[in-house]
Amino acid sequence: MDLVLQQIVNAVSLGGIYALLALGLAVVFSIVSLINFAHGELMTVAGYGMFFALAVSLPFPLALLLAVSVAVIAALLTERFAFRPMRKADVTGLLLTSFAVSAILRVIFQNGISARPKPVPLPAGLTGVVEIGSLHIGIVPLLSIVTAALSLALLLLFLKHTTLGKAMRAAAEDFEVLRLMGIKANRVIAMAFAVSGVLAGIAAVLWIAQRGSVDPLMGFVPVLKAFVAAVIGGLGSLSGAVAGGFALGILEVLFQAFLPDAALPYRDAFVLSFVILILVWRPDGLIPAPVSRRS
Amino acid sequence: MTSFRFAVLAGAMFFAAAPALAEDITIGLATAQTGGLAFADQPSLVGFKIAVDEINARGGLGGKYKITLDIKDTRTDTATTVQAAQELVAAGVKVLITPCDADPSIAAGQISQPAQIPTFTFCGTTPTIPDAVGDYMFGTYPADNAQAAILAEHAVAKGYKTGYILKSPDSAYTLKLPEYFAQAFTKKGGQMLGEGTYTMGQQDFAAEVTKIKALNPQPDFIMTAAYEPDFPAFLQQLRGAGITAPVLGSDGIDSPTTTGLGAIADGIVHTTAGFPSEGSKLAAFYESFKTATGNAPETVYVATGYEIPYIIDAAVTAAGTMDGPALRDAIANLKDVEVVTGKVTYAGTNRMPSRDITLVEIQGGARKSILLATPNPADVPAP
Repeated sequence: MDLVLQQIVNAVSLGGIYALLALGLAVVFSIVSLINFAHGELMTVAGYGMFFALAVSLPFPLALLLAVSVAVIAALLTERFAFRPMRKADVTGLLLTSFAVSAILRVIFQNGISARPKPVPLPAGLTGVVEIGSLHIGIVPLLSIVTAALSLALLLLFLKHTTLGKAMRAAAEDFEVLRLMGIKANRVIAMAFAVSGVLAGIAAVLWIAQRGSVDPLMGFVPVLKAFVAAVIGGLGSLSGAVAGGFALGILEVLFQAFLPDAALPYRDAFVLSFVILILVWRPDGLIPAPVSRRS
Repeated sequence: MTSFRFAVLAGAMFFAAAPALAEDITIGLATAQTGGLAFADQPSLVGFKIAVDEINARGGLGGKYKITLDIKDTRTDTATTVQAAQELVAAGVKVLITPCDADPSIAAGQISQPAQIPTFTFCGTTPTIPDAVGDYMFGTYPADNAQAAILAEHAVAKGYKTGYILKSPDSAYTLKLPEYFAQAFTKKGGQMLGEGTYTMGQQDFAAEVTKIKALNPQPDFIMTAAYEPDFPAFLQQLRGAGITAPVLGSDGIDSPTTTGLGAIADGIVHTTAGFPSEGSKLAAFYESFKTATGNAPETVYVATGYEIPYIIDAAVTAAGTMDGPALRDAIANLKDVEVVTGKVTYAGTNRMPSRDITLVEIQGGARKSILLATPNPADVPAP
């Protein structure tokens, strides 16, 4: 029983990070039909923000704030200089643009900062463990769960109760009508990128807390997971992205914990097979977007 | 000064400074300056270039062959590496350098082997690289099985009786190094209590840690070749679960991230190609590197890259020629070449050199060298 509870905590904490990542992709996709594969590089930017902040010995909370801010700035810059000029392009064109942005950023990190990983040491208090009964719960996974829940709640409030949030939801349903209502397209789109930047920044902080370093290629794995999660959930659907993130996290942890030893090296194959089953069952994802787009 | 004396002096200087017989030769580098291997190939190239400049200032390889470099970026792509190797071989390079990984090195070696061009992998550690290619292929960096042998020797010396390994089938390094270790440790009388598997890039080690925690009796130590980001995540969760067994690691964790982990990193012992102990040649090299570039080297790869031209120089001096077969034989017969991280020997090996390896221990956020030795060839598991 303890083992099961322990694994549930692990699954929720990993799922929370995936949910934040998938949501970051979904916010942008729902509005401009772009799967932003440079989303992982926004995380890397946040990681370097944290590294440089700690290197000049800023206090830890300030470093976190700075990390999220640079991710937002980077998101807005890529929107302004890469994606806005390509707005009239079709889905494939946008997709390729995001690959290009991602590749360019990675080479800039490698040649401009360092090809070597840079350490991001956590304050000693964060690496500990909380004992609840016979459960050992790491402080980092616990913080991941709390942070993910808080971020999702705040995003929900923003989308439901602010004009810009409502505009973003409307844009996801019918962009042309939204423009006819007199809402500036550029503002809504920039806002979507800014929100995705915030989500990438928060996810980066949680991701780095587990790995202790930032390197130029760090964003590759998370963006792939986020993409899978967003597809499971239903591309373009915000609640779907969250559901997909948790589903992927739970699947990964369950297979890791309960597969027999001989099958463990094939864990990812099992996870992805299960994902295929989900898609056979619900081709548009767990919670499809109102206007379904399969890209 | 009379014009006659001036002419004699100038003539003498001309002959002394620039032997008229000096020949320019080209070394080709098909290495990954961008992409997933850049973390190793970039610093290796930095060191390599410094050594080439020094050797050229002294008159070139063997005192007579000035080196020009032809550098191609393979972008960590094996097909691009092959293409680069083909271009370099066609351009007539005398020596070829390949990336820090087995796959592209073996692929590039297939091109240079029939052309009789001695080829070195920058820092590939897989001990089967030379045999997979042929007699023109050489390694330079401490091989996986040699690192495993030194670690096993340390475990036995510490009095450890039982061990546990954590490995990942995702790369030869993360899979074979722990397996070589288990082989060497059991051969010396130790006992393995079990092994765990992980996927590279997985953030969550709770399942593996729970498995180790359930072992009764607990192992005397845990050995792994995991490196970042896996190693920090594993260590945090291991110590978080209250497991206190010491951890043995390999050169993959020779980075500032490991010491940045704080108190939980205390007691880790791992192998490395070299450590700048006070008064060592490596420390002196790091110092002059810092003076020349303004930055301290980020990794020992700078030093191992720096050593390769000197290994080539020693071979050219012995051979007296840049001719392929003669140079190949000269490299294969090198013995105790002094380089900045210790001594390197090719004679009697399968062209993966027998060389000094350093063991370091982490205490209080800093590393300390605890052993510098060449593993006994009899103790090194067969590749």
